[in-house]
Amino acid sequence: MKWLNPTILSIIPALAIIPVLILIGQGFHDGGSYLLIRVITSAFNPSKSILLLKSTWDGLQITVCIAFIGWLLSIILGFLLGLISSSVIWKILNGPKICAPLMRKILSIPRSIHEILWSLLLLQIMGLNGLVGILAILIPYSSLTARVISDQIDTIDIKSLRAIRQTGGNPFSIIITAILPKIIPLLISYGGYRLECSLRSATILGIFGFGGIGTDIQLSLQSLEFNEMWTSIWIIGIFIILLEHILGWYRRKFCFSPQAIRLILFSPIIGGIIFIACIIRLKQLDIDILVSPNFNSIYWPSINEIINAINELPLLNLTFSTLILTIFTSGIVIGIPAVGILLWPTRYGQIIQSSIWSIMRIIPPPLTALLLLLISTPGFAVAALALSIQNIGIMGRFLKEKIQTNGDKKLKAFQTYGVSKNSAWLYGCLVENSSSYLSYAAYRADVILRETAIVGLVGGTGLGWQLMESLSSFNWAEVLVLITIYSMLTISGEILSKEISNFWLLDKYKAYLQ
Amino acid sequence: MKRRSVFIILLGGLVTILGASNVLARSKEILTIGAIPDQNPEHLNRLYSLLSNKLSKELKVEVKYIPVTNYAATVSAFRTGDLDLVWFGGLTGVQARLQRAGAKVLAQRDIDSKFRSVFIANRKANIKKISDPAELSQLKDKRFTFGSTNSTSGRLMPQYFLKKSKVELVDFSGKMPGFSGSHDTTIALVESGAYEVGALNKQVWESNLKRNRVDTNKVSVIWTTPPYVDYHWLAQPGLDKRFGSGFTSKLKTTLLNLNKKSSDGAKILGLFGANKFIPAYEKDYKLIEEIGREIGKIR
Amino acid sequence: MKVIHELSNIRLRGRKTNRLTNINLKIYSGEKIALLGKSGSGKSSLISIANGALYPDEGHVLFKGENIHRINQKKRQKIATIWQELLLIDELSSIQNVNCGALGKNNLIWAIRNLTGTLNPHFSSLCLLAAGLPAVYHNANIKLLSGGQRQRIAIARMLRQEAELLLADEPFSNLDPTLVKQTLNLLQSRTLNEKVSPPKTILVSLHRPDLIKSFDRIIGLREGKIIINKSVNEINELDINYLYS
Repeated sequence: MKWLNPTILSIIPALAIIPVLILIGQGFHDGGSYLLIRVITSAFNPSKSILLLKSTWDGLQITVCIAFIGWLLSIILGFLLGLISSSVIWKILNGPKICAPLMRKILSIPRSIHEILWSLLLLQIMGLNGLVGILAILIPYSSLTARVISDQIDTIDIKSLRAIRQTGGNPFSIIITAILPKIIPLLISYGGYRLECSLRSATILGIFGFGGIGTDIQLSLQSLEFNEMWTSIWIIGIFIILLEHILGWYRRKFCFSPQAIRLILFSPIIGGIIFIACIIRLKQLDIDILVSPNFNSIYWPSINEIINAINELPLLNLTFSTLILTIFTSGIVIGIPAVGILLWPTRYGQIIQSSIWSIMRIIPPPLTALLLLLISTPGFAVAALALSIQNIGIMGRFLKEKIQTNGDKKLKAFQTYGVSKNSAWLYGCLVENSSSYLSYAAYRADVILRETAIVGLVGGTGLGWQLMESLSSFNWAEVLVLITIYSMLTISGEILSKEISNFWLLDKYKAYLQ
Repeated sequence: MKRRSVFIILLGGLVTILGASNVLARSKEILTIGAIPDQNPEHLNRLYSLLSNKLSKELKVEVKYIPVTNYAATVSAFRTGDLDLVWFGGLTGVQARLQRAGAKVLAQRDIDSKFRSVFIANRKANIKKISDPAELSQLKDKRFTFGSTNSTSGRLMPQYFLKKSKVELVDFSGKMPGFSGSHDTTIALVESGAYEVGALNKQVWESNLKRNRVDTNKVSVIWTTPPYVDYHWLAQPGLDKRFGSGFTSKLKTTLLNLNKKSSDGAKILGLFGANKFIPAYEKDYKLIEEIGREIGKIR
Repeated sequence: MKVIHELSNIRLRGRKTNRLTNINLKIYSGEKIALLGKSGSGKSSLISIANGALYPDEGHVLFKGENIHRINQKKRQKIATIWQELLLIDELSSIQNVNCGALGKNNLIWAIRNLTGTLNPHFSSLCLLAAGLPAVYHNANIKLLSGGQRQRIAIARMLRQEAELLLADEPFSNLDPTLVKQTLNLLQSRTLNEKVSPPKTILVSLHRPDLIKSFDRIIGLREGKIIINKSVNEINELDINYLYS
């Protein structure tokens, strides 16, 4: 087991790409190559008609408003839920011990279900209401935020709180003085990432028909108007990239300059103003989120129906193929960015690769899957590759940022020894960052498991495909069973990935090596 | 600084409240119409804005077309009462009716009582024209695409006929058929060669032929299915309560009275690919329901 | 004697003032040079310029007559550096760290094999032993080692590189007096054991004037300028005092 170290584990998973590419190759046909070439050439020649630009602009605003509202509420709600699912807080309040773990268990359910599934379920309850998209983001996101917040609070040493308590402060002032300063920086940096995710989610919600620029993309794809499709993709893409840069700047500013504290004090005000502006703009764009929805009862399947569904569905098979899909996708996603830079670490190589990652980040997985289907037959490989593309972009950026913050002193040192760029990058950058890279990858694998739901239909594999089919057949017993399995898988995945990530981060793996 | 921010928040709150009250003030009933997105959105937009105007004029109520981008969502929107009158396919109509007790089947097109699907193939796939359904077995191991997962003419009936000829979904290349999402897309994908064979709505195929939007050197019909019942108008229960007694039957009569004599009527029927609407009844769709259950699309 | 390394007319700008001004320095093959100066006098900058980690704003550095930024990897491997911060890789064992000295001579596959710990450790062990790190620490997690032990790993890594020129930035700062002596002896000697020999030419930065007796030539740096450049025999108390005043 000596060879088992984080660096090797960041590189080896890239091998997963080989079987996937072989399968893609086996399913390859040149039938759709003409269309695919049209898709690719259209990327450089997006439609510039005024009418289209106007409707895309409206679409962008809808997506951005939904993303922003969902995000802001999820941060606030997540913060509160994070407080009440933290054991430190309950200790301060002298509450029963069971509360925090219980809250955590409960909160792991909403985040185990993908935004798209939430939106499809909420559609059943609320109908065509502007709130559906927002709630679909809000529900899983707030429980994700709650997890991160409570994890962070619980790293606080309870003994240091006792000291404050000795001074006679009441519980709430303890929370404010000892805990808020720890949480606010996290809220700023993590919150920024969530905003980007929210924008991506809102776009995918659109692809599934919930309005905004995603719907524009979907409609132009449906009518094979690739030039129009690319107009929408570029517009949302540029917006996402801009946002990434602004948030990156905001994070750096916050981290390194104390004067920026004023900016933070202003954040809630700025957030509030944008929030209101978003609601008003959505109303102008004919999406009313303030109109109270009429709640419809959903059909609850009987025990018998559920038992039938369990008997009829090939559950073991579906679960197995979903897990295989997740494992291979995660492998590709972990390995490819690391191997990519390892093989091409020059300055230009890195610039080119990070631009490719940027583009990969903006192309939604369902779209990638549809494009792959033009040249390959549906199945596992198409789904794996489609899911990989966007996630490679996200992992790649994480790697790049990690290395930027840790500096390149060692890299430069190795270069003065006359070490090749590749080996210098391997030792000077990857080795020291690989354990945090792997721990982030463990979290990403979790996300990938959830996302298998959205490429199900196009990829034609696993629980995702069956779930979409059951949803479109309105077979609620099957839907309930499948979502439960999904949920259980994701929750166990989450527990596992937390263990793995602690394993790498806390150097526990060293103990196994010696 | 502090005072200014408080002011901004108050102002924001005020605007929100005004916005909200503005929304709540809306009480006038609007008739919302919708349709399954079986064709290009531009086509649907043109068709349903014409129809909305016509209905609005005849019925003296405000009519609004709400586009929905997938079949299942259209059914759900009908179930939740967001759509009052929907142009459903055979399968989606039955699905919607089963979920919304009391929904009324109003009318279908003259062509819908004997509707057909066509199987089209790319010339390069070298598939012979099919005269006997048993020959459908030559489609095994071909790249095959349906339209939407919930389409009657683009999935349900083709799958039913395939099944009758012992061709299952796993027999296709890749162990899976594709789902293009709509009839127009199926044509484009088969024409390009991305799929070798596809099944779709005969009327959409013919209207594309008529408008010269198909390259017949690349794609041709290999089989036309036997007839079955398809599309129909489905209305919410309780429209009479909202719009006045007798509204549902007035709506039905208006649809049935559409004819090619008036210019707007001709345009609408032209876009529907029909000569007129005829009355339709629940019992017409019994067979679709059975097949739907057999294929697993109706629980 | 042959000039092996040459810095000419070097200027390095800092935020406000020049970090280095008008540096002209010739290093002859086989020389042992001590670089003295207060902290902040520019010793580390000079070493970083000399090994090519930093680009000077003016002037150039020649290694064996070629510009250091244009020479090939093979020639670069002839210059070894011991950094003030050591720049060891905490995630790796002692042996793996020492192997890093030979990364330049070997390809990427070798680099990956070193990570997996499947290389023959013989040569690196010899280097570690020569640097004075007992065999029990050779597979240790270096995070757990003391400053002095880590310093010896850095020295062993330098030995593994088999360079001709050594640039060392305060290599004695973490060591106790006995170790300082051992290390000085090590750097002075011709061969250490059958395979390992230190670089012939050495430039070491120090801030302890008491150690200069082991060197041939003294370079004194003050506010980024060379103010002393004398053979060790010519150095007197006044020079040193001026340097540190």
